[in-house]
Amino acid sequence: MILDLHTHSIKSDDGRARVETYCGWIRKRELQIEGFVLTEHRQFDDESDYRPLEHEFGLRILKGSEVETDYGHVLVFGVNDRMRAAFDFADIDLPLGLVLEEAKRCGGVAVPCHPGRPRVGMCAHFAERGAVDGVRVIETRNGGSRNGEDAAALALAEKFGYRGIGGSDAHLVSQIGRCATRFEGAIRNEDDLVRAIRSGKFEAIRWT
Amino acid sequence: MRFEDIEIGDELPAEQPDVRVERVREFAKTAGMLTGRFVDHQKAREQGLPGAILPGIMSQALLAAVIHRWAPGCAIQQIDTVFRAPILVDSHPTTRGVVTSTDAGAQTVDVDLTIENEAGETRVIGTAVVRLD
Amino acid sequence: MDVEAIKKNWLNREFDVAEFPITQERILAYVHACGETDPRFSDPEHPEFQAPPTFTAQYVGRRILPRDFPMLGFRGFDAGKTVVLHGPARPGDTLFAHSKIADAYEKTGRSGRMVFLVHRMEFVNQKDERVSTVDWRMVRQPDQEPEKREK
Repeated sequence: MILDLHTHSIKSDDGRARVETYCGWIRKRELQIEGFVLTEHRQFDDESDYRPLEHEFGLRILKGSEVETDYGHVLVFGVNDRMRAAFDFADIDLPLGLVLEEAKRCGGVAVPCHPGRPRVGMCAHFAERGAVDGVRVIETRNGGSRNGEDAAALALAEKFGYRGIGGSDAHLVSQIGRCATRFEGAIRNEDDLVRAIRSGKFEAIRWT
Repeated sequence: MRFEDIEIGDELPAEQPDVRVERVREFAKTAGMLTGRFVDHQKAREQGLPGAILPGIMSQALLAAVIHRWAPGCAIQQIDTVFRAPILVDSHPTTRGVVTSTDAGAQTVDVDLTIENEAGETRVIGTAVVRLD
Repeated sequence: MDVEAIKKNWLNREFDVAEFPITQERILAYVHACGETDPRFSDPEHPEFQAPPTFTAQYVGRRILPRDFPMLGFRGFDAGKTVVLHGPARPGDTLFAHSKIADAYEKTGRSGRMVFLVHRMEFVNQKDERVSTVDWRMVRQPDQEPEKREK
């Protein structure tokens, strides 16, 4: 199953895409992704119910978050009430170690995203302050990366033995599906997603 | 261009807008933004910028003009732009647009908009809601 | 930076009303500079001649922040503009822009730490008819150099 693991909707301050429009676009353009994860900035959207859209379009629509840490931005999957109580998603100075540890303890998984990006990616911080324990997976294919940023992420993954996921980092409808992650089996819900990421059995894909 | 003629995925013609310093100076003068960072490369560099940069609202105005050329007579109901990174004056950016949804009831289409620099990096993103009769 | 305090004390309070006369000359200068070719905006003889949709985005009120608003740093940039059109602005109109801070939030990006202030201007004409709503996302950076600015 192929999922775009990094997307933003109008729930994010700089997101300009409605979820329904994402769905229509994926089907109209016959994109190869079979679903996507909404990773809104600094928040978890527990209000929206996308199940009707899942049924209408035959797509998997899951929810996570993109939080901000002292080592850059981090995707968290498998968000639940325990995790939301463990750290403040709106805090832009979260310690990366805390996010990794608490996400794991609460049954989720944390994945540093666009690590090659200046300031908000992990590479620059690793170079200055050293590595952080607990990282297993990073985003090696990001649709918003500029020249050399994904290459830096791949080099980091190779150096430390991290597995790599892919996500479009879409903020506009037309940006979804630029990158994604191929899993071996079906992903039916957030718990399946966490298990699949923890298993390491996936590969990052870039189409454009 | 009529609403019935448009489908999701239709692309607006890409354009290379005129962002030479003379034109930007003209815009900055009328918009009351005649400061060094927009119209003088040397002064912009003294402020730590790589060169003079396009005023954000000029980027937005360029994109609106692209929409009007694509669909003459249309009415832009909303246009939203995010200035993610500067566009340099005297550079050669490219504007792009694509229809992402249509609403037959309202006779409107949603359009994604971008401006890229010569390296293909997206510097400005945006959306517009456009009514066509 | 206490963004919550800003939200509590400063949001949605009108702090400025500014007046902008709309002239044919200014419309034409704006239209020419941005390469607008639609005759509704470029030809004064057109029966629907009016200002182009982004025209009001250029205006700044008498103040850009309320009096006594907290100092958030000297450096900043324009992160984006949203224009919602309600009605036309034509030569001879006088627009009145009512300003308030509509939102405030903090985030990090390629530039580092950023405080976003959403400055909203509601434009009405001399008949009190709504013309446009312009949201200007202003960024303040207490500790960054301008050349680093990217989101």
